[in-house]
Amino acid sequence: MKIQHLFIAFIIVGMFQACKGDQEKTGSITLHFKAFYDGQPLSMLSTKPFTAPEQLQFTRLSFFISDLALMDQSATVALKDIDLVDMSFDDINSADNGYTIEVSDLQVKNYSGLKFGIGVPADLNAKKPVNFPSSNPLSDPNAYWSGWDSFIFMKTEGRIDTLGNGAFDTGFAYHTGTNELFRTVTATLPISIEDGKNKEIDVDIDYKKILEGIDIKALPLNSNPKDTLQIGMIIRNLANALTLVQ
Amino acid sequence: MILRLKGSHFFIAFVICIVCFARCHDSIEMPDVRNIDLAGIPYLPEPFNLEVPVNFPLFEPPADNSMTVDGIGLGRKLFYDPILSADSTISCSTCHQQAKSFTDNLPVSEGIAGKTARGSIDLINVGFEYHGMFWDGRAATLELQAIQPVENPIEMGETWDNVMMKLQRQESYRIGFRKAFGIDNSSLMTKELVAKAIAQFERTIVSGNNSKYDRFKRGEIFLDDNETNGYLMFFNLDPVLPDAQCGHCHSAPLLGTTDYFNNGLQESSDLDGFADKGLGLIDGKSSDNGKFKTPTLRNLVFTAPYMHDGRFNTLEEVMAHYTSGGKDSPNKSPFLNNLHLTESQKADVISFLLTLTDSTVLTNPAFSRPF
Repeated sequence: MKIQHLFIAFIIVGMFQACKGDQEKTGSITLHFKAFYDGQPLSMLSTKPFTAPEQLQFTRLSFFISDLALMDQSATVALKDIDLVDMSFDDINSADNGYTIEVSDLQVKNYSGLKFGIGVPADLNAKKPVNFPSSNPLSDPNAYWSGWDSFIFMKTEGRIDTLGNGAFDTGFAYHTGTNELFRTVTATLPISIEDGKNKEIDVDIDYKKILEGIDIKALPLNSNPKDTLQIGMIIRNLANALTLVQ
Repeated sequence: MILRLKGSHFFIAFVICIVCFARCHDSIEMPDVRNIDLAGIPYLPEPFNLEVPVNFPLFEPPADNSMTVDGIGLGRKLFYDPILSADSTISCSTCHQQAKSFTDNLPVSEGIAGKTARGSIDLINVGFEYHGMFWDGRAATLELQAIQPVENPIEMGETWDNVMMKLQRQESYRIGFRKAFGIDNSSLMTKELVAKAIAQFERTIVSGNNSKYDRFKRGEIFLDDNETNGYLMFFNLDPVLPDAQCGHCHSAPLLGTTDYFNNGLQESSDLDGFADKGLGLIDGKSSDNGKFKTPTLRNLVFTAPYMHDGRFNTLEEVMAHYTSGGKDSPNKSPFLNNLHLTESQKADVISFLLTLTDSTVLTNPAFSRPF
């Protein structure tokens, strides 16, 4: 009888070990969204040269990302459906660390790339802040512009010294939104998630490139989604301003 | 001389008698109010379902402070009771008066020891604000907000120990706390429960159905020409009209936002030069210095003077400030530039602002003094 008990216990322990061995191996990924200006980390209210003699200081840099996903050979692995990437950091150290998104329990695998939307996809954009719980970034009424019936996808705000004399005399604010200005960006590069390890990836956004070709002085406040000279230009500049660094 | 001696003897004897009587009386008849059994009082909590206006944000009271009819009733009584202050002169309602849309119409509020630093803020729809209370956001929730004024030396100047002793002494409060929170003993009456009850009451102060603006949004009525122009400029809905830049901070439907802004009230060449640092003093971010909460514009016709320091007496002064671009400082909101609005356009914006008036809040008996 005792031998039978021992045998059964042995079988159970063996099964347990087998299950443990079959457990899926996982790793994690941390994305750092970092604002730059002409290749240098960008903190708020630091003075940057613009179209001479103008100078800029930024006060808010943020945008929604959506459907953040790792790409596999055959499919995508969803990481996050929506988040507000706020890179309005006061100090250079925080700016250098960037806005971080961490996702754990990812299947160990060699992924083929990363993609995400800049803005709010049409299905979510059909809703309003009141449709979301307060824990969701889309619940913020300040992130919605009723004139467009759209969330504000991207906010780029600051002030400009139009004469280059150190007097930042004019505030500027460019807000994008509406389904037509939603963009998906894709980067194809091998991303290896290893067992028990964290993969660090930087997503760098250079705001000098974002504002390339824009005459701020001509129209410092613009949130017209149909405007092509400023709002449209920001959208066109997006892909060129983004860099992925592993 | 003899008479005087006799008089003093009588006086001494009288005092001794009084003291002895008081001590005997105390020891024989005065129960320890801090330890009274309340279990015999029925506890039958009746959930309160708040009627939330259409298109309002989701109503999310804290999970540990579900609203009940008795909780709200207790909170309402506490809100109006000056027992919370050291000399029983100041209640929550002193600075948040129903007839003044829950403000006090003073530039800065007055407490037990003089003037406070800032004006009282309108409580309308405060239950839908999830990103900080007070002008500087120093309390995360209504419950945490309600704790603070009691021990503020200028506002109520009392200690919570004293407040709880005073509340425990009153049978009506002991019953009220039992019915609201189901506590079995008066020793379980706490400042946290006081704050929870007050927060429950404050969450019932809702306005979002009755104003002209609300009825217009529901398609029930028209706005006149001036109001319509103001509406279009407020929310920048017509490319032909100038953007009055109001809607960036005062978003519908609450007509306030979750955010804090430097709205150009203080001039400063650097971020440390603000006389009142506002949010920055709370979160330690220098870029938040000089920023204050965006209050609701609902019922603003009743809430003058305006701004956190009550510097503007009229809506015309407010419009003049915003359209001029305000005073300069590094983190002033970029939306504050000279807007070049005509006098007529400014008047139209004010006409629209007046459509946000809901005078039923001022007379709703559910919000009034209960005693």
